[in-house]
Order: sequence, then structure tokens, then C-alpha cells
Amino acid sequence: MGIVPKETIEVTAQSIGITNLSPEAALMLAPDVEYRVREIMQEAIKCMRHSKRTTLTASDVDGALNLRSLEPSYGFASGGPFRFRKAIGHQDLFYTDDREVDFKDVIESPLPKAPLDAGVVCHWLAIEGVQPAIPENATLEVIRAPADNKIYEHKDGPLIDVRLPVKHVLSRELQLYFQKIAELTVSKSSPALFKKALVSLASDSGLHPLVPYFTNFIADEVSRGLNDFLLLFNLMHVVRSLLQNPHIHIEPYLHQLMPSIVTCLVSRKLGNRFADNHWELRDFTANLVSLICKRFGNTCITLQSRLTKTLVNAFLDPKKALTQHYGAIQGLSALGHTVVRLLILSNLEPYLSLLEPELDAEKQKNQMKSYEAWRVYGALLRAAGLCIHDRLKVFPNLPSPSPSFLHKGKGKIINAEPRKRKLSADSSENQPPHKRLITTDGPDVLRPQDRTGPAPMHVDKPIGNYNLPQNSAQPSSSEQASDGESRNGKEKERGKSRAISMKAILGQIWKDDLDSGRLLVKLQQLYGDRILPFIPSTEMSVFL
Amino acid sequence: MDPEQVDEFVMGYLKKKGFNNAAKQLQEALHHNNGGTFNSTDYHNDPELTKLIRSFSQSENDPTRYRDGYSKLRSWAYNSLDLYKHELLRVMYPVFIHCYMDLVGKGHTQEARAFFNSFRKDHEMIHLRDLQKLEGVLVPSHLEEMEFARSLRQSKVNIKICQYSYDLLLQYLHRTESTLMLGIINEHINFQVYSGQPNSSSDDIDAVTIVGSFQETADHINQKEIQWGLLEDSLEDRLEKTGSLLSDSEKGQGESKDGDVDDSKKRSNEIGKQGSSLKKLKKDKAGNATAKVARQETSIVSPAPRVKPELALPVMSTDVEESILEDLRNRVQLSSVAMPSVSFYTFVNTHNGLNCASISHDGSLVAGGFSDSSIKVWDMAKIGQAGSGALQGESDTNDQNVGPNGRRNYTLLLGHSGPVYSATFSPPGDFVLSSSADTTIRLWSTQLNANLVCYKGHNYPVWDVQFSPFGHYFASCSHDRTARIWSMDRVQPLRIMAGHLSDVDCVQWHPNCNYIATGSSDKTVRLWDVQTGECVRIFIGHRSMVLSLAMSPDGRYMASGDEDGTIMMWDLSTARCITPLMGHNSCVWSLSYSGEGSLLASGSADCTVKLWDVTSSTKLTKAEEKNGNTNRLRSLRTFPTKSTPVHALRFSRRNLLFAAGALSKPAS
Repeated sequence: MGIVPKETIEVTAQSIGITNLSPEAALMLAPDVEYRVREIMQEAIKCMRHSKRTTLTASDVDGALNLRSLEPSYGFASGGPFRFRKAIGHQDLFYTDDREVDFKDVIESPLPKAPLDAGVVCHWLAIEGVQPAIPENATLEVIRAPADNKIYEHKDGPLIDVRLPVKHVLSRELQLYFQKIAELTVSKSSPALFKKALVSLASDSGLHPLVPYFTNFIADEVSRGLNDFLLLFNLMHVVRSLLQNPHIHIEPYLHQLMPSIVTCLVSRKLGNRFADNHWELRDFTANLVSLICKRFGNTCITLQSRLTKTLVNAFLDPKKALTQHYGAIQGLSALGHTVVRLLILSNLEPYLSLLEPELDAEKQKNQMKSYEAWRVYGALLRAAGLCIHDRLKVFPNLPSPSPSFLHKGKGKIINAEPRKRKLSADSSENQPPHKRLITTDGPDVLRPQDRTGPAPMHVDKPIGNYNLPQNSAQPSSSEQASDGESRNGKEKERGKSRAISMKAILGQIWKDDLDSGRLLVKLQQLYGDRILPFIPSTEMSVFL
Repeated sequence: MDPEQVDEFVMGYLKKKGFNNAAKQLQEALHHNNGGTFNSTDYHNDPELTKLIRSFSQSENDPTRYRDGYSKLRSWAYNSLDLYKHELLRVMYPVFIHCYMDLVGKGHTQEARAFFNSFRKDHEMIHLRDLQKLEGVLVPSHLEEMEFARSLRQSKVNIKICQYSYDLLLQYLHRTESTLMLGIINEHINFQVYSGQPNSSSDDIDAVTIVGSFQETADHINQKEIQWGLLEDSLEDRLEKTGSLLSDSEKGQGESKDGDVDDSKKRSNEIGKQGSSLKKLKKDKAGNATAKVARQETSIVSPAPRVKPELALPVMSTDVEESILEDLRNRVQLSSVAMPSVSFYTFVNTHNGLNCASISHDGSLVAGGFSDSSIKVWDMAKIGQAGSGALQGESDTNDQNVGPNGRRNYTLLLGHSGPVYSATFSPPGDFVLSSSADTTIRLWSTQLNANLVCYKGHNYPVWDVQFSPFGHYFASCSHDRTARIWSMDRVQPLRIMAGHLSDVDCVQWHPNCNYIATGSSDKTVRLWDVQTGECVRIFIGHRSMVLSLAMSPDGRYMASGDEDGTIMMWDLSTARCITPLMGHNSCVWSLSYSGEGSLLASGSADCTVKLWDVTSSTKLTKAEEKNGNTNRLRSLRTFPTKSTPVHALRFSRRNLLFAAGALSKPAS
């Protein structure tokens, strides 16, 4: 069966007035009609090609008919697509849908707009082989892919390597896990289950694909749930678990996590109820911060400096609430003693004078405020105390200037303090404070070269001399001791080479000792007896 | 077999064939022999013969035999050994089309159609266009009428096949007694059996086109000698002699006319130095230097032969010569690392009426031929921000052409009475030639804005017209299957080139003016000697109609683009395709070589301009001669346009690429 069925021939015959066409004749004619139509189409396609087009138009067919010296088809030149209708009762018979047009309508209708005249516009398709990104050219997306191909082709022949953006596929199990954890964190309904979840978070391997989702989740929830104390606490727990998980490489996501963590540390308001123990949250977060700094301080050089900057800004801004100050102090003290000494103790005196009126029960009527002030005072005391304890601890009892020497002319010393500090900073042995900030963030990360001062002393003195503090506020003291012991060995080896410069070092120690002594005196002056529990008895006897 | 049965078969066969007398005699003989068997003919005893007779006696007209035979042969071929498979499959196509035509010829229209449709898919990939043509053949009379079918019927197909494949095929045909297939194969295929291992399947370009009888003639014609070298004493030669091209582009200095003599002395020295330091320079792979060295290398390795013009060429005025020389001196050297700039002329508001576009040699004039019989010429130097003609500084010769013509910013040339299919500028840009569906070619002056001459000679629409590289002469080609050579001063053609089997769709001059190339709907490209009017080369390999041609400036190579988007690069002397360039997926409307022949630009209906590195290929062909491997030419860049099919391309003498096309709304 050809494309032209015999019914078409019959209908065509009828339409031109031949009624007595025999079916046989129609059957014979049909293939011939098809052949002629194909022939015309072949010629029409040639006309189309020579008109530089890829779509066949009625004018091409007219051209083809013209080539065969046939009458062109009339009435199809308007260009619009034809609408074909199926003839009722026939399966494959179609006719064009010609509407009858009323002349009156045509005459009365307004004239159509004159078509625009042809014109030529010129632009640069390429300049020395590079397509400029101008509106006349195809959009860049279209260009990019082939351009990349070209680069590859340039290198190794016809090899084409198109890389599509990789889709992140998350398995169904991981999705469910994430949903469950998120649910637990937000709902706060079953603390026991949440604890288990935290354990799982801290230990399960294979959670890494979820880290970006958790980071996002934490950031979202913290910004949304600042009033929800328990939620914040839960979130921080999640952070800690994630940090603890040895299988997770969290470093790339730290920059996204840190804002949320710092928020939990120094935000003005955490939780909306009085009963919410936001101090606890701040303490917890401060620990987190120190944990992060210890672990990633070496790899992310800017991490700690940025963090301390933020915290110091919060601490030194008198307009900020006391709660914020508290968080900042806790955060800073968690960062290590050097930070405390450099940033808190140097600003201690003016700050305490600011805090004074708040502390005074008579002046500050608001009980809440007074409580907060005392909290801040406590935090400051603890930070300073820990710092001085650490300081004194590393100094052995050497023949040192009598306390009387220190005691005389207290006021003078305090005034001279900043100048002296500068002096010591200038000395070549002492590293500039900002560098210390980076490299010394706690006893664990202290490097040998930072200890140039006290090191030789260890050689001489057995560790037993250390008077370990009984204070519960020093949880890491035993670690420090053992740490110091191991370091001792290392230092021993270096001892010989150092012996030559012993003299210079001794001078430095003297200066450092002097510094500590002054510091202690100053602290005592500021805090009175409250500082004393932090100071080991032997040292106390030396200095005071 | 029962002897009586055999007799019956023989009777039936004789009757069917119309041998009535013989049948009667046989009958009589049988009646006579009823008594005794002494006279029994020997065919009763010979089993082979009986089988043969039986196969004959099977109703000869049974159309299902074709289908059965073909499908059996097909499955056998597909299941044959991989090593010989491609050779055996090559046999399938001629068998297929002849089976079909046999069926049609015997009037089994329905069966023929069914047969065709069931096996069509096998051959669609290679022979789609042929199949589309043959599909329309439904009645025996069509076979007679259709030229393509007729040539297929009358000629034999040459198929190269190795000895073992040939034996396999014959064994199969004998074993299965498929006499029908055997008959078709014997009748229509001419096996060229060679000994040894079968060829690799890639070498089947000859098998792709069934060109009928002219495969042999093509081979014969391609033996003829052609001189593809450039003309003696061409401008390029003169320029090279003075060496100003090298030193100018090297020093980047402007041309100083008074110091010319001294300069040329210096330059000759420099050339000597360069020759000695050539090896060092070869390593230097940066920008212009490479191109120059490459150029030098080629000229050193194979100095292009020089030939004398066979036509009396027009004398060039000194002004024109000067300007051309200056352009050549300022030519940017292009290579795969130094790409050209492309200036694009977009025709807007053409309402699908733009049939052709042409750009003058300096890019300052753009002509469009429209389906409403009009030709419009834009002077780009005057339009907009002075166009790129001004940017190029090449417009000095064409300042005075387009007067203010009403509000239009173009010159309207009216005269044709049918769609204008082609337009071409004379090299200096002072004349335009146009060809139209009204069978005429018209010469227009861009200075007078008027029609000068109407050339009548073709009997059918003139598809293409091209000025010769030196002007004065031009070539045209038409639906009447001829190409003609004209000179501007005569209204009758000087030569008529006849030989193509279908429309001649495009024409192009060889740079030395002694040859023209024509591309045709019969999927071949031919090269004709202008002086004798003889066909000197036939290039077979395209799978669809050839739409565009370009000749390399050194006259050695030719590129042709077809309807499917394939571009083929030919070596004129051997008539072999160096390599097909695949990349476009629609008609290649236009091709152009850069001034020194290192790049080929192609413009296509798929709205892209592509640049191809053709220096690599010319080098490779030299390597190819040694180690016999072919490598593909590289596509360097693709510049997509904003839904603008690229109708015309031209490298200016300074190697700026001009492109033109009509903005068309993407089909929604």
C-alpha cells in the first residue's frame, strides 16, 4: 500500500467532476500519483536548498512545478501553516480547512502594518578567534561547552571530554538518618534518645556526606531559634559530636559552623526564660571553641585570630550586655593563658573599674543586673587566676628579688607596666604578641621554641617540685604535668647547645619573672584575697 | 523423482514461456512413448537437471521468492565471519535495490513496497538519499522514466572483494540453490576479486555511491593530467620576490615607497639568514612566526609549479594592482594558533526572503538576492559606525558607489523576474552578477546602479554564478545540468560543460583560471578544463547534494560541502578525498580558504561558523605517503551565531573573515 490510497484518487476525481472513475483505474493511478508527488517534492527540495532554507514552503513547490512547466498551486502563498481536517467516514483522508471570508470584513478591517524593510547590521562574531560577549552573539552558555571541547581537542586530537556538574546523591538511609537526628534535636522530647543520637554522631563512620547538611541545619536553627535555649544547647551538642567523630573531615565546613558557635557564645540573649541557664550554654560553647582552636588552629591560620578579634570586640565594647561580656571572657579564657594574659589582663583594670558600680549592691538596684555583674566578675577572676597559676607554675623557685622589692612603690610599677611590656616585646627573644596568639593557644600546642625562657630550668629541676594545685578549676593540670615531663626529655638534648646562651636566657628569665611578679601583685591589688587560692603556696611565699 | 512429474513440470514451463510448439511436440512425444520407456530422455536420470528444471518450473512470478531469497542471503551475510562480513554486506545493497526493482518491474507493487520497507533500515545509514528516490518507483513505467533507476538497471556495480569472501558467497549460493539471487548478482555486480586478506572496512568510499556506469569513466577521466599550479608572474609571486611580505610583517613597519629598493636588498639578506636559522625557528611555536615558517617550509619543500594561463586574462589597472599588493603586504598570517577575526553581517527583516548573500573581496559591499526577484546592495562603509570596511581601511576603491536612494540605505537592483539564487562581486567590486530562476544572468554596475547586460543561455533556473579570480570571465551552472563559461562582453556562453547526471548546484574557479569545479545533485564534484571544456576530474564520495565549493589558494586542494553537513577535502591531482570533515549537522552553505591556505572556514545552516586547520592535513598527506596512515583534520573553533544560518563567507585579502546570514526566528 502506497502513501496515496485509492480513496484519495476517488475523492480528487469527484472534486473535479469525474464521477464514473472505476476502482481499478483509481488503483492504477494511486502509485503513479505518488511517484509524481515525490518527483515534485524532490525538485521542491532543490529549490529550498538554493533559497538557503531548511524548511519547505509553498513557494518551493511552486518553483518545482514551474521547472516541470506545470501550473503552480494557487492560494497557498500566504505562508501560514495549513490546517488539515480529517474527512468524516474516511480513515486517512484529509482536507485543508478553508474558512469562508466575507469581503466586507476584509475591506473594513484596518490595513496591517507595513513590514519592516530589510537591513544589514554588522558585528564582531569573533576577534582573533575569541567570541566577544556582546548581545549580538549567542549567549555564553551556548559557547562555553564547545569552547571547552576545543581545548581538549587542541591537546589530544579528537578526544572530547565534557564534564557535567556532579550531582550530589544522598542515599535513602542517610536521608532518613539526617531527618531523624534533626527531629530529635528540634523536638527535645526524649533526652535519652538524643544522647544516643549524639553518641552515634560522634562515632559512626560514613556520616561524611551529611556534614554539609548538618552545617546548614545548625546555621539555620541557630539563627531561627535564639529564644529556644534547649534547642541551642542541643545544637551545640550536635556540633561537639560532629567534632568528636574521627571519621568526619569537618574542616571545610568550619567557616560555616563558626558563626553559629560564636553566636551561642556571645549573643545578648540566649533563651527567653529566666530559668534557662544560659551561663552553662556559654561555658559549654567556650569549651567547644577551645576544642576547635586546638584541633584546627594549625591548619586554619586565620581561625584563631579572627575568633579572638570577635571575642575581644565583644569584651571591650562597654555598650554590650554583661552576658555578652561573660561569653567573650569565657571564650577567651578557653583559648589559653597567653590569650588571657595578653588580652584580658592588660585590659583588666579599666574593665574592673567599669564593673565596679554594677557589683555594688547598693548602687545597682536591679538584682538581675547585679547577679550578672558578679557572674562576669567571677569569670574574670577565674580567667586571671588560671592564668597566673599557669604562669607561676612554670617558674621554679629561683633566688629572686625579695618581695619587699616588689612591694615598694606599687603605684609606680603599675604605671610603668605598659612601658615595660613594650620593652620586653622589643627584645629579640620575646616573640611579638600577635604571633604568640596564633601559635600558643594552650599548653598542649605549645611548641618548644616558645618556651625558650623556662626551658633550661626544667633541666635543673625535678618535676616533683611542682606544687600541683588542688583547685578543681584546673582540670587539665595532670595532663600538663605529664606533658611537661615528655617535653623535659626533649629539652635535655637541647640543653647543651643552649648552655652557651644561658646568660642571655637568664636575663630574660629575670625579666619574665619580674613580669609575673608584677602581674601577681597587680592581680592581688585588684582582686584582693580572692586570687590567692589560684596561687601555689611555694610561689606565693616567694612573691608575696 | 517421478518421471511423470518431471514431464509435467517441463510442460508447464514450456507453456508458461510461450513455447507452445515445443510443448505440443513434447506432448506428442510423451503420447508416443506411453508404451515403452526406451525413449526416455536423459533428464529423467540426471538429478541435477531435474532439480534445475524444478526450480524453473516453480511459478516464476512468485514475488515471495525475492523476499525469501534476500532474507536468507541477508541472515547468512550477517552471520558470516567478522573478517569477511563487511565485504559480504557490501553485496547486499545492490542485491536489495535490484530485487526491489525486479519486483516493481514485474508489477508486484504491494510486494515490492513490503519488501522495501522490511529491509530498508539496513541501508538507510549510507544510502538514505538513494532510497528516498527509489521509494517512489512503484510502476514499471517509472523504471523507464526515472533516470536514476535506469542507470542502475543498465550498469553493473563494481565491488572489490577478496578471494575468500567471493568463494564463500558462491559456495553459499550454489549450496542453497538460490538461483534467483545468483542471477541478480551475476547480472548486476561486477566482482573485482583480489587475493589476500580483506581490506579494512573503512575503505569503502567506492562502495558508498552506486554511480552506475561512470565509475570506469571516472577512473579513466581521473588519469588525465592537470596543472594545478598557480599562474606565472602572479601578484603573490611578485610580492614574494621582493620579500616585502616577510619583512613587513616581521618588523611591523609601515610601507615606505622611497626606501623600497634598499628594503628589498635588506630583505634578501634576511631571507638568507632565515634559511640558515630555519631549524631554530621551527621550534619557535609562537604566533606569526610559526605561520611564516610553516609557509616557508611548504614553499621550500614543494615549490608549487607555475603554469601559463590558457585564457586571455584581462589587464589589471595599476591602481587596482597597487591596492591588492598593499593588501597582501598587510595580510595577517593565520594558523592554528593565530585565529582570524570574524565580522558578521546580519540581514534583518528579510521575512524568509533572502536566497543568497555575497560579500565583495574587501568586505565593504554586501549583496543580497531575494525571492521577490530583487537584489539589494549595502555599502557597509557608509552604514552605521562606518562598518568594518572602514575599520579595515580597504574601502578606498569603493567610495563612490551608492548614492542616497530615498530613505533606503541600500541600492535596489530590479530586473529579474524570478527568485535570485546567486550573486557575485567582481574582484574590484565594480560589478555584480546575479542569477535567477528566470534562467537569466544579469550584470549590474555598482557605480551606475543599473543593469548592463542580460545573459540568456540556460534553459532552466541558474543556481550559481561566479566571477573568475581576475574578473571578466564568469561561470554559471543550472538545473539544465550544464555549467557554462561566459565573458562579460559576449551574450553567448563561451563553453558549455555537460556531463553531470543531475542539477549542477555550485561552481567555483580554480585560482589559475584554467579550471572550474562544479558540484552537483548527483553527489559528485567535477573539474573541467576551461579551454577545452572537457571534464578532467570526477570526485566521488559525497552522500548528498554538493552545495558549496572552495579552492585552496595554492590550487592544490579543493573543499566541498554537502547537504548533510559533511565537508570533504580533495587533492586535485589524485582526485582522492584527503579526509572528510565532520562537524556540521546541517547544510554547509559556504566555504572559504584563508589567504595563505592554512585555515578553512565553513558556514552552515546549523547557525555556526567553523574554522578548520588544513595545514595539518597537507603535512599529513606527505607523511601519509610514507607511512600510509590517514589522520583527521582538526576543527579549531566553532562560532555559534544567534539563530542566524550562515549564507556566505569570505576571507578578505588581509585575512579578515566576513560572514553573512539572515536572522531567522528559531522554529517554535
